[in-house]
Amino acid sequence: MTAIQGDGSIRIGVFICHCGINIAAKVNISEVVEFAKTLPHVAYATDYQFLCSDPGQELIKTHIRENNLNRIVVASCSPLMHEVTFRRAAGEAGLNPFYVQMANIREQVSWVTKDMKSSTTKAKALVAAAVRRVARHDALEVRQVPVKADVLVVGGGIAGIQAALTIANSDKKVYLVEREPTIGGHMAQFDKTFPTLDCAACILTPKMSSVAVHPNITLLTFSEVVSVEGYTGNFRVRIKRKPRYVIEDKCVGCNACVDACIYKQPRFPDEFNVGLSKRKPVYMPFPQATPSVVLIDPESCIQLKKGTCKMPCVDACDRNAIDFNQKEEFLDVDVGAIILATGYQPFNPSRIPEYGYGKYPNVYTGLEVERLVNAAGPTQGQIVLKDGTKPKSVGIIHCVGSRDQKTNPYCSRVCCMYSLKLAHLIKERTEAEVFNFYIDMRAAGKGYEEFYDRVMSEQVQVIRGRVAEVTDWAVTPEEEGKLVLRVEDTLVGVARRIPVDMVVLSVGLEPQPDVEQVQRLFNISCSKGGWLLERHPKLAPVSTFTDGIFIAGACQGPKDIPDCVAQAGAAAGEAMALIDKGHVDLEPNAAHVRENCSGCRTCISACPFHAISLDKETGLSVVNEALCKGCGTCVASCPSGVAQQQMFTDEQIYEEIEGIMNYV
Amino acid sequence: MFQQGIQRRIKYQAELDGNFAKEIVSTPGCDNLFSCIQCGKCSGTCPLSLYMDYTPRRVIAMTRAGFKEEVLQSQTIWLCASCYSCTVECPKEIKITDVMYALKQRAIRDKVYPKRFPTPILAREFFSSIWRYGRNTESWLIVRMYLKSNPFKMIAQSLLGFNLWRTGRMGLKPESIKDRAGLQRLLEAVEQAEPKESRTPAGERE
Repeated sequence: MTAIQGDGSIRIGVFICHCGINIAAKVNISEVVEFAKTLPHVAYATDYQFLCSDPGQELIKTHIRENNLNRIVVASCSPLMHEVTFRRAAGEAGLNPFYVQMANIREQVSWVTKDMKSSTTKAKALVAAAVRRVARHDALEVRQVPVKADVLVVGGGIAGIQAALTIANSDKKVYLVEREPTIGGHMAQFDKTFPTLDCAACILTPKMSSVAVHPNITLLTFSEVVSVEGYTGNFRVRIKRKPRYVIEDKCVGCNACVDACIYKQPRFPDEFNVGLSKRKPVYMPFPQATPSVVLIDPESCIQLKKGTCKMPCVDACDRNAIDFNQKEEFLDVDVGAIILATGYQPFNPSRIPEYGYGKYPNVYTGLEVERLVNAAGPTQGQIVLKDGTKPKSVGIIHCVGSRDQKTNPYCSRVCCMYSLKLAHLIKERTEAEVFNFYIDMRAAGKGYEEFYDRVMSEQVQVIRGRVAEVTDWAVTPEEEGKLVLRVEDTLVGVARRIPVDMVVLSVGLEPQPDVEQVQRLFNISCSKGGWLLERHPKLAPVSTFTDGIFIAGACQGPKDIPDCVAQAGAAAGEAMALIDKGHVDLEPNAAHVRENCSGCRTCISACPFHAISLDKETGLSVVNEALCKGCGTCVASCPSGVAQQQMFTDEQIYEEIEGIMNYV
Repeated sequence: MFQQGIQRRIKYQAELDGNFAKEIVSTPGCDNLFSCIQCGKCSGTCPLSLYMDYTPRRVIAMTRAGFKEEVLQSQTIWLCASCYSCTVECPKEIKITDVMYALKQRAIRDKVYPKRFPTPILAREFFSSIWRYGRNTESWLIVRMYLKSNPFKMIAQSLLGFNLWRTGRMGLKPESIKDRAGLQRLLEAVEQAEPKESRTPAGERE
């Protein structure tokens, strides 16, 4: 403290924000202002309703000029919210922006403290800490680093496709990585899309082929990202290409190998038709698969398993595209921005035993029925029971695996609408009586309520009540041989038993099973339940807390196709904004090693970014500022305390602590 | 048949008990009551809801809204067999069975339960038998229950009772523990520790 008092040239201005009543209702502002005036080097202190507003910023600028202030403390919200604002204001008044320090008296004080007296005390302590810290600040310059011009999109569902096309259309190179053998995602499996009943394939497949032929898109299917290094604007990504045992450039998708396969009949569950049909070991995922290239499943191919097949597929291929010696390959790409569009998985209803999925053959999931309804599906569009007959009555249960503390507490958002769509399609194709069992009908969206109206006018029975049980135990003769739904009709207020031929479980959406891996790989946070966390739920919905990485689609939370596409556009826009700028501003928070370094190399091995090396001539450690991310690991590990980090020097931190300790 | 006369069905806010829900929700085990989304899974799974005047879901809605009289006088709370199906299946993890118990206790305290209905009598006789002897003698419990509810029913059940006694399934000898006075001191201490308003009145024990 005495050291600062000797330096008379420091003139600190303290500005306390009311934030409307957000802070003022819990903190005695005038008391904090009077207190701030008593702190060392404080030349001016005042308060204002909204410092972040234009007049608020103008107030700061005016006082910098009028009172010759050269350090600014703003006591308001979090730096995440407005540090940029106040640094810019200081810069406009001719001050180095890094002479600004914020004290967070909203999130850390007024919002979390009930008692006015103790909040005022804490606000004072934080202001004191900021005042003492800012006196030790240095004038710093923002570092600028050029960005790589290409973009990586992870996930080839509708969100990934849309993002990739948008960016590619602006003449930027895009790498689109998809782990399945084809792009298209879940949307490719759907039949119609609500509320307009567009055929999903009709609107999706043109986009899929655009991706395949786009000169700016490198499509990497059957591939996965295995490592990500670097930082915003400069990522190096390693991609694993899994072997398809088919040379992608040679195959034209003629299916001659599939016809020739030693298995005359398809015998293995078809993933695309969710196991409702069979495929051969060599197969095309579905007719419009993109790229139009077959692949061989090593789990079922005799040649790949035992090496004893006569390999008629190889003979059948006149382009010599089949290569049983294919190995996995790795590809390194340098990109400036990354968009994650990794999607969701449908809820597995066998976790709710009372609904009998897997026990009763005629209990289906929504996705299975999508395949049944689809003309290219396992039944050529016929909605039939397992015995081949048409159902006369169908029960559709909403909220399966949603709005339930035992499975997922959230609403999956799409189930009400797709249940109504399935009700419509089933009614149209089979003329069966359809019952929809809902808890609350959520039809919020453009044209959704109108679609609900339409389905209601088609005399679909909607019963408000969560089904308690699906059982084959008949109580009346009419129930014999049927599946009985036990439910309370809550609007009538009586328990009912409703016999049906077919039950459709409208399963909710869950995060991908390996979301934790994605989270670790890309250094992304997750919100509760495992959805990727956006930077701000309203104002930064596609950004993440890792700069340069954006999210789009259902990996961020359950959403329908229109929302996925909108978000993909937003993520593409953010990625293009980053790349078009040409450089990124990095916080000047790099570490440096001072001259009395002993050359022990502890920091070199501690640095997670390989940013430190030993200068052979001087024997001192040297930090490469372009690589340093400012994590502070070297500072903590240096045994002689000569590694220091800008913006977090020992003096600054000690002064901050002293400030808190001395004024409470 | 068509009901004679036309009754007023509206409920004015003044007729409701604003504190009723708060009292019930503060009973241990009933704390999730306000999370109910009225999905009706409890009533759908309840093996007895087909006999109830209000389904369990409606009881929760009415409790929350303050329909105290209707709830406490309903048969629903006494028909609940404590099978816990609803509690197991409730998506909001409401312990509906515990709510039913809280309502039963409240009905006994307010003396608004159906007078000759066997369930509350059985509950009280069970409690008083434990209080006095430390054990429950099933034969006498049933006898007392029938005497206080419907003595004629006892005649219909007497053959079954005789057969149970004959095959040694049910004894007539009153069972008891050794230190009955000690148990009573213990129970009294428990009762003193309970907050006064939630205490079962002493008269109800007999």
